[in-house]
Amino acid sequence: MQVNISIKRHNPSAPDNNTYWEDFDLSMHDTASVLDALIKIREDVDGSLSVRCSCRSAICGSCAMRVNGHAKLACNTKLSDVIDADGRVTVEPAGVMPVIKDLVVDQTLFWDKVKQISPWLQPDGPEPEGEYIAPNSAMMDLAGVMNCIMCGACVSDCTVLEIDKDFIGPAALAKAYRFVNDPRDDQTKSRLIELNEKTGIWDCTRCFECVEVCPKGVAPMERIMSLRESAMEQGLDQTVGARHADAFTDSVAHSGWLNELLLPLKTFGMFNLGAMMGLAPIGLRALLRGKMPSIFHRSVPNVHRIRRIVKKIEENE
Amino acid sequence: MKYALFAGCVSRGGCPELYPATLKVCQKLGFFLDELHERGATCTGAGVLQEKNQFLGDVFNARTFAIAESIGLKIMTICSTCQGVMSQANKRLKENPEYLAKVNGYLADEGLEYKGTAQPRHLLWILIEDVGIEKLKTYVTQPLTNLRVAPFYGCYIIRPSDALEFKLHPEREDSLERVMEALGADVVDFPGKTRCCGFPILTINEKNSVSMVAKHTSEVKDLGADAMVTPCPLCHLNLDGYQPKAMQQSQQNINMPILHLPQLLGLAMGFDAKELGLSRHIISAKKVLSKVGIPA
Amino acid sequence: MLEHDVLIVGAGLAGMRAAVAAHERGANVAVISKVHPVRSHSNAAQGGINAALTDRGDDWTDHAFDTVKGSDYLADQDAIEVMCSEAGDDIISLEHMGVIFNRDEKGHLGTRAFGGQQKARTFFVADFTGQAILHVLYEQLMESKVKVYEEWFVLSLIIEDGECCGVTAIEMATGRVYVIRAKTVIMCTGGVGRLFEPSTNGLIVTGDGMALAYRAGAPLMDMEMIQYHPTTLKGSGVLITEGARGEGAYLLNKSGDRFMEKYAPNMMELASRDVVSRAGQTEINEGRGIDGCVLLDCRHLGEKLIKERLTEILSIGRDFAGIDIIKEPIPIRPGMHYIMGGIKSDIDGKTSIPGLYATGECACVSVHGGNRLGANSLLDTVVFGRRAGHHAAEVSKQMEYKKFDVTSQIKKAEMDLQKLLDRDNVGERWANVRTDLGVEIDKHFGVFRTESGMQSLKESLTGFKARYDNCSVQDKGRIFNTDLIFTLELGYMLDCAEAITLSGIERKESRGAHSRIDYPQRDDDNWLKHVLVTKTAEGPLLTHLPVTITSWEPQERKY
Repeated sequence: MQVNISIKRHNPSAPDNNTYWEDFDLSMHDTASVLDALIKIREDVDGSLSVRCSCRSAICGSCAMRVNGHAKLACNTKLSDVIDADGRVTVEPAGVMPVIKDLVVDQTLFWDKVKQISPWLQPDGPEPEGEYIAPNSAMMDLAGVMNCIMCGACVSDCTVLEIDKDFIGPAALAKAYRFVNDPRDDQTKSRLIELNEKTGIWDCTRCFECVEVCPKGVAPMERIMSLRESAMEQGLDQTVGARHADAFTDSVAHSGWLNELLLPLKTFGMFNLGAMMGLAPIGLRALLRGKMPSIFHRSVPNVHRIRRIVKKIEENE
Repeated sequence: MKYALFAGCVSRGGCPELYPATLKVCQKLGFFLDELHERGATCTGAGVLQEKNQFLGDVFNARTFAIAESIGLKIMTICSTCQGVMSQANKRLKENPEYLAKVNGYLADEGLEYKGTAQPRHLLWILIEDVGIEKLKTYVTQPLTNLRVAPFYGCYIIRPSDALEFKLHPEREDSLERVMEALGADVVDFPGKTRCCGFPILTINEKNSVSMVAKHTSEVKDLGADAMVTPCPLCHLNLDGYQPKAMQQSQQNINMPILHLPQLLGLAMGFDAKELGLSRHIISAKKVLSKVGIPA
Repeated sequence: MLEHDVLIVGAGLAGMRAAVAAHERGANVAVISKVHPVRSHSNAAQGGINAALTDRGDDWTDHAFDTVKGSDYLADQDAIEVMCSEAGDDIISLEHMGVIFNRDEKGHLGTRAFGGQQKARTFFVADFTGQAILHVLYEQLMESKVKVYEEWFVLSLIIEDGECCGVTAIEMATGRVYVIRAKTVIMCTGGVGRLFEPSTNGLIVTGDGMALAYRAGAPLMDMEMIQYHPTTLKGSGVLITEGARGEGAYLLNKSGDRFMEKYAPNMMELASRDVVSRAGQTEINEGRGIDGCVLLDCRHLGEKLIKERLTEILSIGRDFAGIDIIKEPIPIRPGMHYIMGGIKSDIDGKTSIPGLYATGECACVSVHGGNRLGANSLLDTVVFGRRAGHHAAEVSKQMEYKKFDVTSQIKKAEMDLQKLLDRDNVGERWANVRTDLGVEIDKHFGVFRTESGMQSLKESLTGFKARYDNCSVQDKGRIFNTDLIFTLELGYMLDCAEAITLSGIERKESRGAHSRIDYPQRDDDNWLKHVLVTKTAEGPLLTHLPVTITSWEPQERKY
């Protein structure tokens, strides 16, 4: 298999023009991975190509980078799956984090965020003599997150981190899920209180980028959604995000549809004049263009059926 | 071709221009539409309701699927968010028969049962999969030659790709570009086309949300686009409605018109600005009209 | 001046367990590692960690006997007694730190069966036990705020008046050379798998610690004891956990026969690794394999069990062989996996050099002898890592920092590096030499060995050293120069190759993993002893040490 691999290189020792694309033409085995190609380049063609890698089996988490613009582990990405009809593929360093050299990024930001969530077990009281007793199902649920290899693919492609480096981000929040849901940990509430703050769980846009790029099926965004649910269950329901989810659910449960006009009122609080005023110019412009939602919120036909379902689910689930 | 149209909330609420534009275009394409909201279908939950109660969301969506099954029609959506939320719910329902049975338990009172045959598809995919690109070209009376348009998909019609069955339908991945080309437009490709518009966090972190608007709209402006086109009305709400704020926050003059997919189709099919509700946008679409040669 | 009471080289399980232990004892601890701690190769340990817990009817002496027998009676039994008797407490303390072990239906820690053992005593986290423990130990490190010199590469041990008192190292992100002074240094650098081509080991496993200690004068012991894992994936050589056989998977030859019936009628697929590897290799050699492989069949285990307990190999099969292990058998072959030998150390990790400790795979205590049991490696790392950490911390309390000329150390290291960088670009590339060396050593030091093969390997090593001395580094920069690091690693690997080859030739019998066609029998009369290699000015010196026997006299080994 002939491939043309185009690599975004960065040579920090060069005085200028030190970031550039370089193409390599290689003959590779049909089942070869992107990493196999990079290793071949650094071993046989250009020894100055820097790339982190070790296990070659998607367990050490060293080789996250962008392949054709999206974060992947180079080791478990087959060339045949990513080359175009002409055998071309592009490889760039991971996003969000600064580049040190070629495909090697500085992961300080990644680890600082992990450290921010106090990522260690915090049980109260004296340790038992033997192990903590815990249901296997709870442990296996956590295994889905412990499975995270901290490769940073999710951080690389997070749409929020791209514009706001303060966001705790998908990897660290998935790690937080692991402690919030660990039956041995006794800081559940205080952890949720912290995660509920600005830059925490409510800043996620639910864009699914992290779910899509995670090579280990950790699904960080799903964990973040679960943390939101846990926070609301713990009575942390006064954030804008929680009220938004509440108001949205109320509207759909009541009328079958979304009442867009009432949503901001409920989300910001009926008497939060500041926020409502902030919305005013937008609202005003929208009204002038005939874009404002109908003030008379109409229910779906047979809305009583919807209300009956909601009531039943509330009772049973 | 007959479809059960799931119009969603926003096409008749926050973006009231989308619904009539869709009806116009579908009529031209010869689609017969049976409107699901007239039959009591609810909102999908948009992912927001799911944060609070995913099960309730799945029951609502199963209900909509069951209604469509009962009239024997395939579902058409016109919103990336509706599409994604429905596809995700459908995946959960279809891959676990026990779960589906439990959900169906809540539909029995109405005499409904979801049998697992629904395949909700966005108009965008239907254009490619049912109409076909070559056939679509035959509807073009006013080719959008020289119009430089950037695609903007909306997250939920791109991810998660397994729920959206991209493996089965690889053509979905660049469907928007292919439709735009079929209409005669020049595609302005840019990496932000599959990123988030920022709408879901608008009320939570407006600064970040608006930063996203500024990033995407200014990026395509720099690439020389005349407009952006999106199959998602929620993206439209943010990219269009919050662009003035984005300009203010980023201190740039952007003024990038944002078009709904049916509006772009409608322009190529010879509808006028009024019929397509193009005057209802926050960012004026006049430049687009003059470039295509349609009076504003 | 960078200085620490306890400096730990390597951040795998042994290193981080040692760091946590030394920190507990109030020492000023630091860890230095050429990769970020969670990238360490301990990640790759899939199946589990052994311990005999008395409260579930097990007895540590049974575990000890299984280990002695597994070692083919070469391991020191006093060390095995320490490891097996302390295992239970170490498992519990890992659990208290936060490891999410699989549980039984009552919520207690669950176990699975592993090879060479009479009881199911392997505790596990699905099939990524190593990763699950490694990440929890790193959590502990983050909590204790132990200093980690991340992506620093050690160039040499500093020995003054016969005592180890620090290291010279290069910070990869800047290319700067530093001296780190330390009262005690613990080597926890893992094995030397990359010396073999192919190997299950990650690219970072290059025997650095063994070579550094060897160069400093510490003896390497039982280096001929190289473990071939019975089930490594065709082609890439990726590891397929023994846990698969523990859960009941079969080994089949091309006729679909469970060939282990012939070789180990009682234990079948769960005999010791050396036994199963020899069986698999014999099937292949005698024409009963398929395309150089035999088959590992998981199909009858069912989708549910595979998805809950063998998730990692499910994805390995999919990603690296294009195989759905639920529906198809996996083509596998024995592959180089582990080294039982290493830096001679005692039960507290002490080596022959004062101030220098070694623990984990780079050390030889010896608890594995001629063949390590599956899931005893993780146990080795946590028991002896903890013990070394505690001992070094206590000892360092009584010590002062040793004075030495820091500037000249840095200068010398700088000069050596610069000389390497300044070599003309006409020389050979490290990669060529390493690949040729790996293939050569695999050829002569495989599952079966002969005098002539090992002698020819010994001769070729001279040639490889000459080629190495002529290697040139293409990257002339200082920042993240992996080309330079790989070249230095190759030097370390060559030292290990020397010790392995000489020990292999020395031991004229077949014991454990050292299977010689010319000496097919175990010879307790002459070779119930350890083989040690020490670097001297006159060249490598071979010596012997008796094996410590406490309760278990050598017997014939049958599975």
